[in-house]
Amino acid sequence: MREAVLELKNVRVHRGSRLVLDVPHLVVRRGETLAVVGPNGAGKSTLLQVMACLLRPGAGEISVCGERVERGTNLVRLRRRMAMVLQRPYLLDGTVFDNVAVGLRMRGVPRDEVRARVEQALATFGIEHLAGRRARTLSGGESQRVSLARAFVLEPEVLFLDEPTSSLDVPTRMGLLAELGEVVRRTRVTTVFVTHDVIEIPFLADRTVVMAGGRIVADGPVREVLGADMRRALADLAASARWILSQDGDGIAAFPVACASR
Amino acid sequence: MSDFKSLLFSHARRQLLVFMLLTGILATVPGATAIAAPASREVILATTTSTQDSGLLDVLIPMFESQTGYIVKTIAVGTGQALALGARGEADVLLCHAPAAEMELVKSGAATNRKLVMHNDFIIVGPADDPAGICGLKSAAEAFKKIAAAQAVFVSRGDDSGTHKKEKEIWAKAGVKPEGRWYQEAGAGMGQTLNITSEKQGYTLTDRATYLALKKRLGLKIFVQGDGALLNIYHVMQVNPRRFDKVNGPGGLAFVDFMVAESTQKVIASFGVKEYGEPLFFADAGKSEEDLGR
Amino acid sequence: MDLVVEGIVKAFWLLVRADREVVRITLLTLRVSGLATLIAVVVGVPLGTVLALSTFRGRQVAVSLVNTGMGLPPVVVGLWVSILLWRYGPLGFLRLMYTPTAMVIAQSVIALPIVTGFTMAGIGQLDPGVRLQMLSLGASWWQLLWILLREARLSVLAAVIAGFGGVISEIGASMMVGGNVMGQTRILTTATAMEVSRGHFDMAIALSVILLALAYGITFGLTHLQQKGRHA
Repeated sequence: MREAVLELKNVRVHRGSRLVLDVPHLVVRRGETLAVVGPNGAGKSTLLQVMACLLRPGAGEISVCGERVERGTNLVRLRRRMAMVLQRPYLLDGTVFDNVAVGLRMRGVPRDEVRARVEQALATFGIEHLAGRRARTLSGGESQRVSLARAFVLEPEVLFLDEPTSSLDVPTRMGLLAELGEVVRRTRVTTVFVTHDVIEIPFLADRTVVMAGGRIVADGPVREVLGADMRRALADLAASARWILSQDGDGIAAFPVACASR
Repeated sequence: MSDFKSLLFSHARRQLLVFMLLTGILATVPGATAIAAPASREVILATTTSTQDSGLLDVLIPMFESQTGYIVKTIAVGTGQALALGARGEADVLLCHAPAAEMELVKSGAATNRKLVMHNDFIIVGPADDPAGICGLKSAAEAFKKIAAAQAVFVSRGDDSGTHKKEKEIWAKAGVKPEGRWYQEAGAGMGQTLNITSEKQGYTLTDRATYLALKKRLGLKIFVQGDGALLNIYHVMQVNPRRFDKVNGPGGLAFVDFMVAESTQKVIASFGVKEYGEPLFFADAGKSEEDLGR
Repeated sequence: MDLVVEGIVKAFWLLVRADREVVRITLLTLRVSGLATLIAVVVGVPLGTVLALSTFRGRQVAVSLVNTGMGLPPVVVGLWVSILLWRYGPLGFLRLMYTPTAMVIAQSVIALPIVTGFTMAGIGQLDPGVRLQMLSLGASWWQLLWILLREARLSVLAAVIAGFGGVISEIGASMMVGGNVMGQTRILTTATAMEVSRGHFDMAIALSVILLALAYGITFGLTHLQQKGRHA
């Protein structure tokens, strides 16, 4: 079995008095591509932020590349082994080149190397012609490509994708997902991919974790978890998630998958 | 911190640099650097705005500085504040024109070595048509009574200055409590009060020096002068160095001596003659207060 | 009206002839207000950023303090700085009363909340997602601070402009702690007030014209930078 890149033990996160994340045990191994799926408010993004050392859990233990995260741990050093793409691109004011280079510059990478690596990353996502453009003049799809290039250029040991395509229109989204899946497979980067749409999972992941109400309710290979029963349940979930949430955020507790797995 | 520096995008760095440089240059303009004098060479003179406004100190202070080598910090404030600075030992020497309050300060022990320097006088001025009919009156109190009776506009300094105090004294003497629409408080310095008075075509009490300096701009005439109650008597006094250890005793003493010295008195007696045709001050060193105004 | 014309003509000649006293007053004004603004920026920009970003107990209190401070009357600052700097005050031993340094201190106190407040507002307007994104890409605390400041640089420049404008036009505090001593602590505003009080309106107008030109020139320069930043 390959080494664990991320390991969570008894991790709990509270928001106010509400328990938003409760993970007894979760391991992500090198080279794995893990999809985290569940309705809005299930704790997916919180889980991702805990893994990315952006959020300190109230309780529990996290290890990154075998190193336990403790009170005095230099989080910046750990974060520099990872990269994240968020739902929205959050590009800085400046050129596309500057935006893709920002992480490398943070790490003090020499100029020439920055240039070479940025150009390569831009080419990977087919946006080398945009290098000199002001980032804020780009379309939604182009912006998200810049955001992806900005993460990939860092050659992270773990890549976090937090619903990276959900703000795009359907055709753009499917095209980008296919491309992204291809890049992920080619680079073999360990990936944790959050989505609320089961359709997206096969593009990017070979293992799936299903979350609801802050808990992991299913965990296994995509094919297994997305087996006949589960697929139907997940389809229900995808269909019902919207109205459940719109009615009551805590209504998720009555969610059928959660009941079935207990 | 090379990673930090390389993070700056080039144009942002330029902007910041330009600003920092600009401020840096401004901050170190050498020509504007004031010479910091050691405490013993520095004399803080607390005086009234009216003294400064006459321009006399602009002539006297450089004289004193070149004669003695002291550097004077002239703080021109209201009479009340000047005396309070003395009472707290925050000044070394005082030049004021509020004899009663000054005597109290001397009696309290905060001030010492008080000497008569000079006087000028207050005058009552008003619009040329003299609606209250005070022209030629000898008594200031009498004139105030007539102004109040006529409900003619009177503009008061209203700032608790020496002039304002003098005005209140005269109202008290006249037995009139000034209030009503005709009595207006400017809350301003003498020059500005005169200007307001001229605009409103009212009466006011002013020192002669400020009036003479502004005469050509004002539509105001002198109606009452020469009353003993209208004298504005200046004394210089040291803040007591035995009471306050941080007070510059020798510096204060030197300034008092300078103000009553014969050469200084000559300058005072001729100050303003060239510009206004008559002196603004009467040099009085060596006289006693009772001799004045007779 | 002739008074205004006279004043402007006088201002022109004072500058052309480089009247020594007027030049000295002008330079001192620039030096005091420039230095005070610099200090306020050096302290206020990081402070505003930290206040905008952090969540600590008492933040509300601190933010309210800054916002109140933005409208701090200069005479109040002058009074408190005076009380501190008087010979018999707690800092009297420094012998700073009636010096340009005292004026810089007072003006810094006036400008600091203005710069802090504007910076805080500017940083606060940024999407919190930018923060998360930059941290996830490996930004250190200082790098994050710098990136956010750069993103909010229009607001930061507005902060500088407001701070400088606040102190160069200020009179109450400088009069009180500087004393308007000729050749030592006389600046454009205190000199203008004194000339008005003396009835030398032409001189007062001349000084005010210089003050306005100076304030306008520097604000124009900063605004130019700001607008350039908008299109860069």
